[in-house]
Amino acid sequence: MHIKGVLNRRDFIRYALTGTSVLLAATYAACTAEGNRLAHIKGGIVGPDSGTGHLLRNPDAIPAPTSKVTTDVLIIGGGISGLSAKRWLQKSGQTNVLLVEMADHFGGNAHSGRNAVSAYPWGAHYIPIPDIRNKELLDFLAEENVVTGYDQLGLPIYNDYYMCHDPEERLFINGMWQEGIIPNSGVPEQDKQQIKAFLALVAAFKAAKGKDGKDAFCIPLDNTTEDDEYRKLDKMTFSTYLAEKGFTSPYLLWYLEYCCKDDYGCNLESTSAWAGIHYFACRKGKGANAEASTVLTWPEGNGFLSGRLRAQVGDNMRSSQLVFKLTQTATGAEASVYDVGKKTSYTVAAKKVIVCSPQFVNKHLLRNIITPERLASLERFSYAPWVIANITINSLPVKRGMPLCWDNVIYGKPSVGYINANHQDVNNSLKKVLTFYLPLSSEAPTLARTKARDTSYAQWLEQIVEELEYAHNGITECIEQADLWIWAHGMIAPTPGMIWGADRRAAVEPIDNTIFFAHSDLSGVSIFEEAFYQGIRAAREVMGG
Amino acid sequence: MEQTDRKSNGGRKESRMHILLLLSVFVIATCGLIYELIAGTLASYLLGDSIMQFSTIIGVYLFSMGVGSWLSKYIDGDLMRWFIRIEVLVGVVGGCSAPVLFVAFEHVASFRLLLYGFVSITGVLVGLEIPVLMRILKNNYAFKDLVSDVFTFDYVGGLLASLIFPLLLVPYLGLIRTSLFFGFLNMVVAVILLYRFKETAAYRKGYTAMISVCLLLFTACFLYSNKIMNYSESMTFQDNVIYSKSTPYQRMVITKNNRELRLFLNGNLQFSSADEYRYHEALVHPAMQALPKATRVLVLGGGDGLAVRELLKYPQLKTVTLVDLDPGMTQLFKTNPMLTELNKGSLLNPKVTVINTDAYQWIRNDSTKFNLIIADFPDPSNYSIGKLYTATFYNELRRLLDDNGILVVQSTSPYIGRRSFWCVDHTITAAGFFTIPYHAYVPSFGEWGYILATKNYSWKNEGALPAGLRYVNSGTIKDMLYFPPDMAEVPTDINKLNNQVLVHYFENDWGPYAH
Repeated sequence: MHIKGVLNRRDFIRYALTGTSVLLAATYAACTAEGNRLAHIKGGIVGPDSGTGHLLRNPDAIPAPTSKVTTDVLIIGGGISGLSAKRWLQKSGQTNVLLVEMADHFGGNAHSGRNAVSAYPWGAHYIPIPDIRNKELLDFLAEENVVTGYDQLGLPIYNDYYMCHDPEERLFINGMWQEGIIPNSGVPEQDKQQIKAFLALVAAFKAAKGKDGKDAFCIPLDNTTEDDEYRKLDKMTFSTYLAEKGFTSPYLLWYLEYCCKDDYGCNLESTSAWAGIHYFACRKGKGANAEASTVLTWPEGNGFLSGRLRAQVGDNMRSSQLVFKLTQTATGAEASVYDVGKKTSYTVAAKKVIVCSPQFVNKHLLRNIITPERLASLERFSYAPWVIANITINSLPVKRGMPLCWDNVIYGKPSVGYINANHQDVNNSLKKVLTFYLPLSSEAPTLARTKARDTSYAQWLEQIVEELEYAHNGITECIEQADLWIWAHGMIAPTPGMIWGADRRAAVEPIDNTIFFAHSDLSGVSIFEEAFYQGIRAAREVMGG
Repeated sequence: MEQTDRKSNGGRKESRMHILLLLSVFVIATCGLIYELIAGTLASYLLGDSIMQFSTIIGVYLFSMGVGSWLSKYIDGDLMRWFIRIEVLVGVVGGCSAPVLFVAFEHVASFRLLLYGFVSITGVLVGLEIPVLMRILKNNYAFKDLVSDVFTFDYVGGLLASLIFPLLLVPYLGLIRTSLFFGFLNMVVAVILLYRFKETAAYRKGYTAMISVCLLLFTACFLYSNKIMNYSESMTFQDNVIYSKSTPYQRMVITKNNRELRLFLNGNLQFSSADEYRYHEALVHPAMQALPKATRVLVLGGGDGLAVRELLKYPQLKTVTLVDLDPGMTQLFKTNPMLTELNKGSLLNPKVTVINTDAYQWIRNDSTKFNLIIADFPDPSNYSIGKLYTATFYNELRRLLDDNGILVVQSTSPYIGRRSFWCVDHTITAAGFFTIPYHAYVPSFGEWGYILATKNYSWKNEGALPAGLRYVNSGTIKDMLYFPPDMAEVPTDINKLNNQVLVHYFENDWGPYAH
C-alpha cells in the first residue's frame, strides 16, 4: 500500500519552511551561542575604595583623636595639586610640611597600575607640550628629563621616548579604521566643509587676544583675558553656541561631543561654550622637535608625572589618612585625622593648611568654618563619573585600515575609545594592555553615579566587550584580564557659569590667611597643568602671606 | 471504533516517519552541497586559481555522486541500517574534511591527492544516500510522488546551502567550524533515525556509542578550531614547502627546488641560498676589512646566522653577540642540517652568543662597547619594525659603538625604495654619524642598499679581505659606492619615533610592487 498525498502543496511548503527554519536556527545558534563567552576573562572592580570617603557623611562615628602632631603647614590631599604645593613649599624653603591623603596612593586621578604585560593608567594619561610661558611646568619637566635641553631659540627639546610615538590616532568609522580622529572616511563633502569651518574658527580663537592684551584662551586659564567678549561664552552651553553658529553636521557634532567627553566627561549640552572652545584653543606649546599638537605620554599615563612629583617631595607623606574635621585655632588650624589602617584618630595642629581635596569633599570638611552661602556654592560644583578598564589582550583581530595606534576611537559609541598602554614601550610585546575610557556622560552626573554604584562587574564587562567587538570582531577570545576602576567623581564638569562664575572665585578665597585652597576643580577644568598650577598658586599664597 | 483509531494512528505515525525521512533528505542535500563548497573554497584558498579549483572540485564531486548512485544497486539487506551507516560516514568524512585538509596541507607529499580523495569519498557517500533512501520509501509512495518529493527537497536544500554558505557560514563560523557543524548535523539525522524507527533496535546501542565518540571529537575540534586554523594558515609558494612553522612572532616557511633553498618570513623572501652570499658578503666585508683590530661585534636581527658566518672569517674577532627577537628562528638555524650547512654552523660557534629578546630593549639596557654593529632587521614595513630605524634608536647605537667603530644598516632597495633608502641615510646622519651609502646587486632581491656609518669618517677601502669570497673584493667595494642617477640621493625627512616617516615612505615606494 502507499499513502496518497503524504505531501500536498500546503504540507510541502510547511515542511520546506520548517526544515529551512530549523537549519537556519541551528546555524544561527552555532554562530552566536558560545555559552558564557566572557567566562575566561579574569578581573574585577579594583578601585577605588569608596568606603573611606563615605565616612565623612557621618564624622561623629569616627573615633575621637587620641594624640597630636604639629607642623608648620598641613596639606590635605595628595593629588597633583597637593604634591605640586608641597614641592613648591620645599623649593621656597618651607620643609616642615605634612601631607595627608585619604586614598592608599598619591597622585589622585593621575593614578596607575602595572601587570606582567605593561604599566597602565587608571586615569589621566597625557599632557600636551606646555606653553613656553609656563615656566614652572617646563622647569619641572626639565628636572625629570622630559625636556632634555633648549635650542638656540630657547625652545625646549623634548625626550623622544616621551613624545607620543607614531601612529598616534585612528577612528573606526564606516566599517574601517581611518587615520586621525576627525571624521573623514566616507564623510559627505558638506560635512567636511563644516568641520573645516569649525577648525578655522577655533584657530582664530587660539590666536585671539582680549582688550587687555592677554590671550583669549591659554593654560593655566587664570592667565586669560578678562575681556567679556570671550568670558561671556561661559554663560551658554556649547550646543547652543554651535547651533547659533550654524554648525549642524552630525559628524562635526559627534567629534565635538567626543572632545567634551574626553576632556571633561560632559556632553555638548552640559559643557559651557567657553570650555568647549578652550579645548581647541588653549594648546599653544612649542618645541625644538615638537609641534603644538604634540603630546607627552607614558605607559603608566600621568602616573609617570605623579610618580616623579611624589619622588621629589620626599618625607612627611601619609596615605590612608582621612581628615574628618577642620577647625580654626588661635595659632592656625587643627585637623582631626583618622588613620584608616590603625583605626585610630589624631590631631594635626598647623600654622597654615592647604586644602587640596575636591570641593565635594570640602563641603563636609568646611561645614563649621565657612558661611552658609559659601557652603551652598560648593554644592554647585558638579563632577563627571567615569569608568576605566584596563584590558590585557594576547592579540588583536585586525580590521581594514590603520593599524593599532596610541589612541583608538570608535565612532558613535558611548566610550571615548582606548589607549594602547604599550604604545610608548619600544619593546615589541605580543600581549598588550588597552586602557578603555568610558565617561558616564549620557545622564546627569548624580543619576549616572547612582546607576554606576548598582552596576556589577559582569554588566560593565558586557558593555565594554560589546563595544570592542564592534570594531574588533573576535576580540573577546583574546582578552585575558579586564580590571575596572569606577571614578564616581572623575573630573570637575565645566558646566555653564562654572569657570567664570562666582562659585569658583569664592572657593579659591583663603580663610583668614590660615586655610588655603588648591585643586584642579578650582580651575573648572580637570587637567594636570591646572592642578600643578593651583598647587603652586596656593603655596605662593602661603609663603607670601 | 478501536480498530479505526489504531489504523488512523498508524497512518499518521507512518506519514510522520516519511516526513522525517524527507526532512533528512533536506539536511543531507544541504550538507552535501556544503561539503562541496568547503572543498572548493579551501582549494582556492590553499592552491590559488579559484576557477580551476571550483570547476574541478564540482566535476569530481558530481562524478563521484554518480559512482555512488551506481554502487547503490549492489547494496541489499537492511536498507535502514545502510542508510544510517552512510549518514554516519558522510558526517565523519565531510565533517573532518576542512580541519584535516588544513592541517595536512604542509605535511603531505601530494595535497591534491588528499583533497580529491576527500571530495571523491564524500561524493560517493552522498551519491549513495538518495537512491538508498528512495528504496526505503518506495513501498509507501507512488513513484511520481516519491521522485517529486525527494528531488524537491534535495534541490531546495541545495539552494539553502548555497545561500547560507557565503552569507553566514564563512563569515561567522569559518571553514573549519562549518565543516564540523554540518558533520554534526549528519550525525544528528542518524541519531534521530536510530531512535525513531523500531527496526534499528538491534544495533542502536553500538551506533549510539560510535556517534557519541564522533560528536565528542567534533565538539573538541569545534572549540579549538582557531588553534587548528592558526596552525595551518598557509600561503602559496612557488616551490615545494619543505618546512613551515609559526612562532609567536612570525611564520617561517622554507621552500626548495633543485637549484636553491628559500626562506620566507610572513611571506616575504629573506634569502635564496643561490645568491645570499652576495647580500651577506656586502653586508659584512666593506666594514670588517676596515677594522683589522675589531674584537667585539654586535649583530641585531640576522637570526639566520649568515652574517655571522661571514664575520667568523676574521680570526681576530673574540665575541659576536647576536640579538634576534625570535627563538624559533635562531633555534631552527642552529639545528636544521640543511640550514647549518648553509650558515656553516655559525650560531653554534663558541665565539657567538645568541640572545633572544627585543633588540631595542636590549640595546637600551646594555653598555658594552662594540667595534662593529650590524643592524640586519626586516624592511620597515610596519610601525614595530620602523622603531628600529629611528634617529633615537641610532643614538642608542652610537652610545654602544667604539669611537673608531662602524655601524652597518641594511636599508632596503635604493632602486625600488629610493626614498626609504635615503631616509635611513639621513636619519643615521641626524643621529651624529658620518655615512657611506652603498649598494649591491642580489638577483633574487634586485638592487639592495646598505648604510655604513662611523663617528669620525675613518673608513677606508684598503684593508685585507679573507680568502674565498665570491662577490666582494676591493674592486667590488669601489663599485658599490657609486649611485647611478636613478638611485641618487633624494631629500627626505628624518625618521623619528613620533613621526615614523620611513614606514610611510616604504609603503609608498613598495606599494606599486605589492600584489
